[in-house]
Order: sequence, then C-alpha cells, then structure tokens
Amino acid sequence: MARAETKDEKYLVVDHLIKWFGSDRAVDDVSFSIEKGKFLTLLGPSGCGKTTTLMSIAGLHTIDSGEIRVGDVIYTSKEKKIFLAPEKRDIGMVFQSYAIWPHMTVAQNVAYPLEIRKIERVEIDERVDKVLALVGLTEMSDKLATQLSGGQQQRASLARAIVSNPLLLLFDEPLSNLDLKLREQMRVELKRIQNEVGITSIYVTHDQSEALVMSDEIIVMSKGQIEQRDIPLSVYSKPANGYVSQFIGVANLIEGTLAKKNKSGTGVADLNKTIKGLTCDCVLSSELESGDDVLVSIRPENISVSKKNTGGKGIKGKVDLAIFLGNCVDCRISSDGFEWKVLSHPRENLQQGDSVFLHLDPKHTLAVTP
Amino acid sequence: MADTLAPVQPDSTWRRFFTQENVVTIVVGFIVAVAVILPLVVLLVSSFLVLDDMGFDSEWGFDNYVTLFTDRIIPKAMLNSLYVSSGTCLVSTVLGVSLAWINARTNSPGRDSIEPYNLIPFFLSPFVGAIAWHNLASPKVGLLNVWYRDLFGLDGEQYLLNVDTLWGVIWVTGIFFTPLVYLFVVGSLRRMDPSLEDSARTTGAGLLRTTLTITLPLVTPAILSGAIIVFVTSAGEFGVPFKLAAPYGWETLTTQIFTKAVGDDANHYMGATMSMVLGIITVLLIWVQRAYIAPRSYTTVTGKGFRPNVLDLGRWKWVAFGFNILYILVAVILPILCLAVVSLHPVWTAEIVPSDMSMNNYVKTLFWWEEDSIRAATDGIINSFILAFSGASIAMVLALVVSYMIHRTRGFGAKLLDFLCVIPIGFPGIVLAMGVLVTYIKTPIYATLWILLLGYITRFFPYGQRNIASIMLAISEELDQSSRMAGATWFTTLRRITIPLLKPGIFAGWVLLFVIFLRELSISIILYSTGTETLSVGVYYLANFENEALTSALSMTQTVVLLICIFIFRRVAGKEALTA
Repeated sequence: MARAETKDEKYLVVDHLIKWFGSDRAVDDVSFSIEKGKFLTLLGPSGCGKTTTLMSIAGLHTIDSGEIRVGDVIYTSKEKKIFLAPEKRDIGMVFQSYAIWPHMTVAQNVAYPLEIRKIERVEIDERVDKVLALVGLTEMSDKLATQLSGGQQQRASLARAIVSNPLLLLFDEPLSNLDLKLREQMRVELKRIQNEVGITSIYVTHDQSEALVMSDEIIVMSKGQIEQRDIPLSVYSKPANGYVSQFIGVANLIEGTLAKKNKSGTGVADLNKTIKGLTCDCVLSSELESGDDVLVSIRPENISVSKKNTGGKGIKGKVDLAIFLGNCVDCRISSDGFEWKVLSHPRENLQQGDSVFLHLDPKHTLAVTP
Repeated sequence: MADTLAPVQPDSTWRRFFTQENVVTIVVGFIVAVAVILPLVVLLVSSFLVLDDMGFDSEWGFDNYVTLFTDRIIPKAMLNSLYVSSGTCLVSTVLGVSLAWINARTNSPGRDSIEPYNLIPFFLSPFVGAIAWHNLASPKVGLLNVWYRDLFGLDGEQYLLNVDTLWGVIWVTGIFFTPLVYLFVVGSLRRMDPSLEDSARTTGAGLLRTTLTITLPLVTPAILSGAIIVFVTSAGEFGVPFKLAAPYGWETLTTQIFTKAVGDDANHYMGATMSMVLGIITVLLIWVQRAYIAPRSYTTVTGKGFRPNVLDLGRWKWVAFGFNILYILVAVILPILCLAVVSLHPVWTAEIVPSDMSMNNYVKTLFWWEEDSIRAATDGIINSFILAFSGASIAMVLALVVSYMIHRTRGFGAKLLDFLCVIPIGFPGIVLAMGVLVTYIKTPIYATLWILLLGYITRFFPYGQRNIASIMLAISEELDQSSRMAGATWFTTLRRITIPLLKPGIFAGWVLLFVIFLRELSISIILYSTGTETLSVGVYYLANFENEALTSALSMTQTVVLLICIFIFRRVAGKEALTA
C-alpha cells in the first residue's frame, strides 16, 4: 500500500503563509516543511492558527500570501495566482466531527473517494474490505453511520481518508470528541495505522500529550506564529521559550537575569527579583547573552525535595499542599513568596506544614527567553 | 499505484473565478435580486405617477399620496384595515396563547390527539372560511340564524349573529390566524427549561406568581412575534374582507387595492401608492419583530429537549378540553360541514332539504363536459395544480441554492442573499403582486401563467428557504467539506451529499409551498386574466357571479385537497417540522 519510495527531503512545503480574518492575522508568515511519510503535529491553544494552517493546506479556504506545495504540485500560491480546488488536491482528511455521511453505510462512506476516482467496482470492494480490516470495522461495513459509536465513526472516517491512498493525510483535532479512555486508545491506534500506510500526515491538536505520543515532529504555535519546531522529546525537555515550556507539560517558571554565560552553553541565572538571594546554575536554551532577562524553567519531576539540607545548598521552603497521586506526591511548596510545583517520591512522606529543602539539578534547569 | 485525480494543472485566475460554485451563486443571486427588487422599485416609482382624468396620460407628482387622505373611500378603508388588523391580532393572540398553554403545560385530556387539529386552519383558505361562515351566520341566510329563528319562532328580520360586518372579518381572520400565534408560543413553552420555573418555586413563589413573573416574561417575545405576524398577515388579507365587509359598505386597504388593479375604475398608479402604504407599514413591523423581538426569545437558546412542567388543572381540565374542542369546532368542523351541506343543494335557500341533495354542483364545477360547466372554475383547478406543482419545484431549487449560499459560503454574497430572502416576507402578497403587475404589464408574460408563477415564487420561496436552512444549520459543514476532500466537485457534493441529507427539509418545504400555492388568492386576484384563473380565483368568480351552492362545491373541493396535503405533510415532516 505504501507509495513508491522516493526519499524526498522536503515533501510538503508551506512557504511564508499568511491568512487574514478581517483585521486579524490568523496565520502570520508561517513556513515549514516535512519529509515524506512523517507525522507532524501542529500544537497550540485555540486561535493560534493551527486549524487555519490546516484548512489552507486542504484548500477549504484561500490564502492571502505565500505558497503551499506537495512534491512538484503547487496547491496554492498567491504570487503565482494558483489555487487548486480542494477536490483536486488528493488529500485525505479526518474531521473533528468525523463527518461520516449519515445517509450512507460505512462501506458506502469508505467507497466514496474511490467512486469519485472512477475506479472499477470490483477493485473498490476489494480495497474497501482491506481498509476496513485495517481499522477493525469489517463487521460494521453495512451499518449506517448513526449506528456507530464515536470511536467507530472515528475509524470509519480514517478509513475513508486513507482508502484512496492520497498524497497527504490531514487530521483536524480528531480525538477531541472522544472520552479520555477512548482517546488514549485511539492515539496509539491512529499512530499504528499511519505507520502502516505511511502517508505523510499533518495533525492538529491542542492536547499536548496527544502531540507527544503520536508525532515524529511537533510545531508549537501561538498567535499565528511558530514558537518551536522539534521532536517531541526536545520540545518537552528543551522548550525554546517560556511560552512553550508553559504550554507543554507543567513547569516552574521563574523570572530573572542571566548573570554569567559559560562557553559550554551553561550559565548562572540570578533569580533575586523573584526569590531573594537565589542564583542557580542552568543550561541555556537559546542564544542568550549575560545581562539578558531570562525565564528559568524547571519541571516538577526534576526537583528533588527532602527534609534534610544535604550539601547545604538547598532552598528552604514549607509544604502548603501535598496531594497523593499514587506513584508520586504533587506538592506546592512556598519559599519566599514563590510557590514551587514539585513531584516528590511517596517515601519522602511529606505532609502539609513540613519544612523542606529543594535541590535543583543544573542539567535540568533551563534558561529560556521570556 | 497512486490514484491521482484529474491531471493537476494550475488554473488561471480567470478560470478559477468561474468555478461551478461561483457561477451558480452569481446566476441565482442575480435572479433572486431581480425578482425581489425590481417589482418593489417599479412599485415605488409608479406610486409617483399620476393618471390624468381621461386615464391615458400620466405625469410625475405627489397627487396619489394626497388622494390617500382626500379620497371619499380610501381614508376610511385605511382605518378599517387598522381596525380589522388590531382586532384580529387580539383574537388570535388570546386564542393562540391560551390554546398553546393548555396543550403545552396542562393535563387537559387528549392533548396529543387534539393538537394536530389546532393547526389545520393554518393550511386552509381564510377566503373559503369566510364563505363558510357567511353561510353559517349571515343575518338572513345563515344557518345558525335560521335555526335560532326556528327555535324561538322569530320573524325573518331577527338574527343571533351577523358576520357580514367588520366584526365578522375579525372573527373569521382571527380564528384562521390563531395557529400562527399558537406555533410561536407552544414551541417556546415546550423548549423552556423547567428548572427555571422550579427554581422560582423553591424560592417560595407560588404557582400564580411563578407563572406571572417567570413563565409569562419568558414567552413574551414569542407572543409578541406571533402577534406581529398576525397583524401583518391580516393587514394583507384580501379574501375575508372582500367576502364579508366590502359588499356591505366596509372597504379595506386590500379591497381598495383590488378595485384599482382590475375594476372598472382601474388606476394602477393609485393602486401602487396604496400598496406602498401597506408595504411600508408591514415591512417596518416585520423589521421590528426580526431585529428586536426574535433575538430576545430566551427559551430557544438551549435547544435541548426538556420535559416541561405540567400543571394539574383538577376539574378545570374539562373546561380547558371543552375550550380547545370549541375552537376546533368553529375553525374547522362547522365551516367544513356547512360547505358540504350547502354544496349538495341545487340552490341554497337556507334550508336543508335532504331530498334535493345531489353531487350536481361538483360535476358542474369540476368537469367541462357537463353542459353548463363553469369554465373559470374548472380552468382554475387545472391552472392551480400546474402552478402549485411547478412553483413549489422551482421555488425549492431556488431555496436550496440560496440556503447553500447563505449558510455555506461567506462574504458579501451570502449577506445580500440573506437580506433578499427577508424582504418578500415583509410585503403582503397583494402588495408584491401589484409591483409585479406594474412591472410586467407591458411584457409578453402578462396574462400568462408565467406572471402568476413569478409572483408566487418571489413571495413565497423564503418559506421553503427557511425549511431547508433549519436542517442545513443542524448538519455539520464538515460533511460537505469531507466530500470535497474525497475528491468530489462542488456539484457532485451537492448531488450526492448535501441534497440527500436535506431531503426531508426539501420535501416538507415543497408540500408547504404546494399547499400555499393551491389556496393562494391575494396574488392571483391581481395577476390573473381570462384563461389564467386559479382555484381561489375560481371560488371568487363563483361567489361573485354564481350561487352559493356552486361556490361551496368548489370551496369544498379545495378544502379536501388541502386536507390531503396536510396529512401527507405530517407524515413526511413529522410533528416538529412546523414548530421550527
């Protein structure tokens, strides 16, 4: 089922894309490209421009500037005055509402793109069977869309999107209407199927854990612009700026200035203006110079907390809140007016009101541009 | 094995503009704009044309508007119209609100089986209702008055009821327009979240207080909307005042417009001027309703299905039941029975003579081959079926495309079309017909069925459009988009996805328009000519030039056909279709 393997550096290219909504720049000069067969996620809160970008690729609305192309096919280009109608773009798309046509059976839904492409009936039936087996809906093929559960509609929608073996697969927050358990199950399922068919995919979501689980690469967007683009691990462990570290996972963000910059990409941050007298060794995430304002970002799981001040360099604090979560304890620890979020090991047995000491790990203490 | 679609070539800007979608939008937008705007503009212009005494030449001036106030009849006609509309409004609102409350909120017996009958007058012809009530309660030959005299041994001058007055007009129009208020209010009462009332009760407010301070204010916008619609509709109603008031010396604006359109002293420009007056008033009221009252209807916001609080009326429930039955009796059963009885007599002498009864009147009106067939009536039946069938079909195609443009495309075109769809609702049929008349009188379509078709579609396609739009808003746009993404063109998507999904709405809208066209009078009466009579014009013709018995036979025929349509409509559209 996989396409001919021509390893192409840049398969989908989005080049200086701009889209206005009234006086709003919904997408503000966005450029990126992905390799063939990869799974790229556009991640961001609602209104960040991710869906608008996706719709621009799909051709469901026009663009105001820039160019979008796949391989040597130009989808749309303002400068070259090209706009390919959505139906000519050869894209499979999974919508938020699944958009399974209620007046057709599952098999009819899935066969539709092939009928449009005027493929012979015998082959259509064969391919529909095959793809329904792939998504695990073989037994449902004669059911109407209204008789399917949310998860099944989701699978049917995916089957319909991949059956014609399109150039691109687009996902518009496809899991957001499912309940939590099903959502977690479908993430893995979607990823498995995408791996199997190998169609280059763009996935739009506001759910960071979805993005981390499924993607080959993540683009974090905000206010119509790209904040960071990286593999999931790096987006999580090396956020490019305060926005990203806040959006992905939970982080303690402390304002300060960079006091010293070492050649090895490390430095010392002065956090005096937030927590009196505190300085810390840290890794510098981007091109910072000493004297710059920085945000120091520390994940709760990277702070160790104990009742003893081992090494004498601990930050003194008091436990305001300790919530037992099973494998860890979620703590709020106040220190000089700042509230730390810390995940501690249950064996530390922290209780509300305990005096404790926090120890930061310089390798996991990151200074980023605010 | 990549299954690419048609060869991918960049389209030029020029070709890109002429997509299926754009071409259809422009063509349909243009047709709708011309159909709606042109007659109104010509109407406005014509109202400033003053005909000289000879009736040949005309010049520009405000004389027509002066005549409105100096004429011997027109000022009184305008007052009468105001009087009738206000009275109708009151009757319909009182009846509609109380019936809605009984059916939505009380345990009055048999509500489920009675409710559909409350809506029947909505589908029938008020003009026929007036004919029936004339036979029931005109002073001399009204059946009720005859019985009253027989019962008390009174002489021929005494009577119990007299519908041949403005009061009669108010009564007949009132009971026939009651469903308009009923539909607005019953929907609002049913969709109301019962916890709104429950929470008032928990604060210590009694039942009466809750009803007055919570329930009533919440349905007030619905009541006002219904009342305004009734006021506007009755101001444009022609048949009832024509039958019950005009012959006895009470002219209204609509009957006056009619005499200026066709009668011996026809003066189209004067008719246009009066139409302008009527149109401006109704447009203003509809605008107020849509802009200020409809948005305030709080209860429709949630859109959830609730089980409304039901009030136990105790023994009073039988009073409520009786009240509802009485309404159905006077609005549906009595008029229809009366028509049936009268239609069976060779001549109606206000006396039921079983031995004289026959179907002769039906044979005379329905079939040409009977010697003294009534051509206008028989032609009218055929013409009306042609008009209703083709009109409903064309209007629904138009409505489909227009709804699509309004709800599935963005930009200026969508807004303009939305606006164009509201305008015809604001103008009474007789006003729009006057506009169509002055616009097309010198074109070849005048005196053909085409001009009637044009008038019908222009005035009523927004009704069909609303039927489609309500469903279109409920189905996700992604259903269309996913078809485009699957490789289907705009037109294929429309054919294979959009239309099948909208089928129930399209069919319900079609039947509704079919019914409206089959009973249409106020447009037809202005635009018909010899050979292009319609069913209602046939009834008018018989009522004017033949006897009551023949009139009743044709009226009865029309009523039976309409009742069959209602039955089909309910089977297809279901209970909810009308309340939307």
